[in-house]
Amino acid sequence: MDQLTDVLTAISHPTRRAIIGQLANGPARFLDVAKPFDTALNAVTKHLKLLERAGLIERRKQGREVFISFRGEPLREVAGWVHEYERFWNQRLDQFEQYFKDKKTKGKKK
Amino acid sequence: MRANIKTIEFKFERTIPAPPGEVFDGWLNPKIPGNPWNMAEKLLLNPKVDGFFYWTFKGTPHYGRFTEMERPGQIQHTWVSPSTLGEESTVTVTFKKQGEDTLMTLVHSGIPDTDAGRGHEKGWNYFLDIFPGQFANGPRKEN
Repeated sequence: MDQLTDVLTAISHPTRRAIIGQLANGPARFLDVAKPFDTALNAVTKHLKLLERAGLIERRKQGREVFISFRGEPLREVAGWVHEYERFWNQRLDQFEQYFKDKKTKGKKK
Repeated sequence: MRANIKTIEFKFERTIPAPPGEVFDGWLNPKIPGNPWNMAEKLLLNPKVDGFFYWTFKGTPHYGRFTEMERPGQIQHTWVSPSTLGEESTVTVTFKKQGEDTLMTLVHSGIPDTDAGRGHEKGWNYFLDIFPGQFANGPRKEN
């Protein structure tokens, strides 16, 4: 798989996005990363492997401990894949659609 | 459009829960959220064939000329901005009755396919915009 596919796969799962969010605050040890999740440690390990394969995290040894840190650079490739006007019109049309949905909902309540 | 510039086209569809006439009018009303005019800091809008528009957002100017105006079916105008390299691109919006709703289709064609359009810096900002929402959900339980 190419890196774009790896990154898209990595960020497609809510737990992995939550891990990225957690690591965006700073490096953490494996057990600290796993702590907030109500899941087996080997499941967290699998998530970390996918994030590592996408280049979104890296492990660094400090003394006897291994710290995991976030790398944002691969997200740039995904971001560049989305054209400015794709974002622009999707955002505008979503808002436009929502306006009419809200209007219809309010109309029904009256 | 200059012959040596490769252009791209984007197509978007939405089902809007209102009849075509209402949606058509909403798309041209600067007070309605979601249309391009609603976000303008400064706006000049003359929505009739050969009427011009000018609007700015974050200081970036956008110009265009309405080329088709057929209520309630279709609106077409040119679209010129720094992202089109000053060239005329075309925006065509159609409104088709779909039961009680309207199938709205927007096609933006003739956009120069440049690195600027696929700009990494802008793309990066996009991620910064959407990711806080994703992160705010926090960790979820695995099944």
